[in-house]
Amino acid sequence: MISTRALTKRYGTTTALDDINLRVPDGSIYGLAGPNGAGKTTILGIIAGLKKATSGEVILGAAPHEVAVLSDTPQFEKWLTGREVVALSLELASPGADAARVDKVLAETGLTEAAGRRVGGYSRGMLQRLGIAATLVSRPRLLLLDEPASALDPQGRREVLDLITRLRGTATVLFSSHILADVQEVCDTVGILRGGRLLFQGPLHELLVGSAVPRYEIRLRGDTAPAIAALRRAPWVTLVREFDAGEIVVEVRSIREAEAGLPRALAEAGASVVSLRPEEVSLERAFLELTQ
Amino acid sequence: MTLWRLEILRVLRTRRWIALGAVYIGFGLLGPLGAKYLAEILKLAGTDADGVTITFPTPVPADGMAQYVDNALQVGTIVAVVVAAGALAFDAIPEMGVFLRTRVTSVWGILVPRLVVSFALCSAAFVLGTATAWYETWALLGPLSASAVAWGTLLGILFTAFLVALVAAVAQWSKGVLGTVLVSLVVLIVLPLLGIVHAIQVWLPTRLGGALTELTSGTPASDFWRSSLVALLAIVGLLALAARGARRREI
Repeated sequence: MISTRALTKRYGTTTALDDINLRVPDGSIYGLAGPNGAGKTTILGIIAGLKKATSGEVILGAAPHEVAVLSDTPQFEKWLTGREVVALSLELASPGADAARVDKVLAETGLTEAAGRRVGGYSRGMLQRLGIAATLVSRPRLLLLDEPASALDPQGRREVLDLITRLRGTATVLFSSHILADVQEVCDTVGILRGGRLLFQGPLHELLVGSAVPRYEIRLRGDTAPAIAALRRAPWVTLVREFDAGEIVVEVRSIREAEAGLPRALAEAGASVVSLRPEEVSLERAFLELTQ
Repeated sequence: MTLWRLEILRVLRTRRWIALGAVYIGFGLLGPLGAKYLAEILKLAGTDADGVTITFPTPVPADGMAQYVDNALQVGTIVAVVVAAGALAFDAIPEMGVFLRTRVTSVWGILVPRLVVSFALCSAAFVLGTATAWYETWALLGPLSASAVAWGTLLGILFTAFLVALVAAVAQWSKGVLGTVLVSLVVLIVLPLLGIVHAIQVWLPTRLGGALTELTSGTPASDFWRSSLVALLAIVGLLALAARGARRREI
């Protein structure tokens, strides 16, 4: 749906984007993750046609009227009602479209009761939902969402993430966020951006499995010292760290070696094992390991 | 809901029409009144100082229109620039600019309704103010030449079009509403200063703003062909500049 070739953006001597080759598969929910200032908004701006690239090109698989953009803190004329904002968006993107769609989208975003009120009285969360309603109303094939949930309270964030999840299969979503938990929850494909460079791009599971060092969480009863010493001697163990109450985290070279050697090493050390499980890899951990 | 309706709602709901109407119609009422009773007003204010007596000539109908134009050209122009800038600086709040720009195929789609509605509103206020001043002048001071008033009004409308086009161009090359207002007003103040040289003055589009005064005082309408021509060319150039600025702007 979106591909960029050697996309570069410079502001004077500062390079905001450096040789970005983005590949957003058709129908995917693509999470562009990275810290503030990584270049996420700049990429979205260039794809949306709001900024010009210094060099490189963008190829879109959707016509301009099939693309909808949501900025991170949407704002509208304060003297318009919520319904008028969504109706304006629909008329601009799909002239003559069925007006009943406006109320349907307002209902989906939980704004039915506030639809007749002027936008000037809306909370930040309501504005964000109104922005999403105005984005969805024309049934775009491609949505570019810049930090759509970062300014919201937990409930608002939950609602926005659910809305994005429901788009799976009906539209392609390119979604930027510095909240990695959000990206991990809703996205199937991720791009990790830092300092204007794309450090990783691909399916989420590839990042989680491929980039993170395998770890095991072990809980022991009684004296843990013999088990820790035995594990530290094992050549396939790269790190052993003990926490309170007999909790140990073991980093290993490979899952295969750990599966064969970990139970044996613990048994030979006479350890009393309460539990043993591989640590669930989070995007946050994979991100940190990738960027550090 | 269309971008045309959006602009009409902007005028109505932000009460900009009241601000413009009050200024022009207000000066339309007060201008001829001031011309008629200026001597009495100053006498009441006690300006007869140190034994110096100021004698005012008997007011003539052209003075009524001149008083209206003097006031409307200053305060009215400021209000018109503020009103037009509020509509035409559509990237002043970037998130609003994103909303609009990503939903139209050409920036003209955003610009045209804002240009037309701003121009129509400012022109309507000017015409109503002129009509008020004309009636008041007739009632207090005597009749004015209808053709002089009609030509003066037309040229005033042309000046309004120049003003709106100027604001549109400035808005696309400067940041925010305040910057647009300040730069536009500086241009509108500096241009008449160039008119100190008569050879330049006859070409200046800003001369059209005061055409009502000159025409009702006996200047022929044909005297304004040069400033009208420059105004028309400037409008075209400024609109092209506005479109170019809107296209190249990054938000």
